[in-house]
Amino acid sequence: MHKIEVDAEIDVLSLNKRYAKENREFFRRNNILAINIMGAIGSGKTLLIEKTIDSLNYYKIGAILGDVVCKADFERVSKHKVKAKAINTGKECHLDAHLIHHKIEDFDEVDILFIENVGNLICPVDFDLGEDVRVVMVSVTEGDDVIAKHPEIFRLADVIVINKVKLAEFVEADVDKMIRDAKNLNPKAKIIKMDLKENLGFDEWLKYLEGLYVSRCNREG
Amino acid sequence: MSFATALLENVLSIAEEKNAKQVTKIKIEIGDLLLINPEQLEFCFEAVSNGTIAEGAELNIEFVPPKIKCSVCGREYNEVVGVCECGGFVGVDGGKEMIIRKVEMVV
Repeated sequence: MHKIEVDAEIDVLSLNKRYAKENREFFRRNNILAINIMGAIGSGKTLLIEKTIDSLNYYKIGAILGDVVCKADFERVSKHKVKAKAINTGKECHLDAHLIHHKIEDFDEVDILFIENVGNLICPVDFDLGEDVRVVMVSVTEGDDVIAKHPEIFRLADVIVINKVKLAEFVEADVDKMIRDAKNLNPKAKIIKMDLKENLGFDEWLKYLEGLYVSRCNREG
Repeated sequence: MSFATALLENVLSIAEEKNAKQVTKIKIEIGDLLLINPEQLEFCFEAVSNGTIAEGAELNIEFVPPKIKCSVCGREYNEVVGVCECGGFVGVDGGKEMIIRKVEMVV
């Protein structure tokens, strides 16, 4: 019996990357715009999906809803008569490409697939799901320093939605500071000021989404 | 915990290839931007490796910084910023990897 030292160069995250690549290929093959929506608990992710489904009813939309336990989000979205699936992650605080891999095959007919991640701003960031677009949704009630405090998730977002802006004055949140922080971390991201309950910024979101869908189809064509 | 589990699976597959009886040391490089707390990783690794041949293995962790550089003037930064003082976009390269470099084992 003796000791040996083995040289290696193994990427610990390679398994997730492999599944993410396969998922991405699946989305391309089936002409699906896949959107990973991340954000804290209560930031408005599920409501954004619900309202989008109702407004873009000429698209076939599907949704995968990740939650630690329970199926509340799944039940909310299912009421809008679209195909939806729940994923319970248990103690894991994020979705990963493997978890999604098992579900996406049921969505090969949809135009747009929403994947609602588990509610937090930390863990989902390192797990590429194979999505086309990363949306991070944040609300002013989380405090106007929330973007500066979670740089990684905002740095890697394609779209940053700042929700509940009509409540800003009541919680003393400076929306301009949030926008500045977002632009400083990620000057290329699309930033949308929103108040979903009041429909503020919602049209901008819909137009942006449709633009993405069209450019995706053109790219495929 | 996901990182510890993925680390263990990879280490065990290297060890099995060599018919190892025990894994004693693992050298890994972790990108700074994964924001992994080494004490938490060690604790989680201890928990998941319990009862395997990697139980008790020492983790030798080296953190690797990303390269943060302005795409226009080339100025380098130590922390993540989006826009350079010159107005150019600042690119971030790396800092998100977790690579196993060496595994020491008893065969």
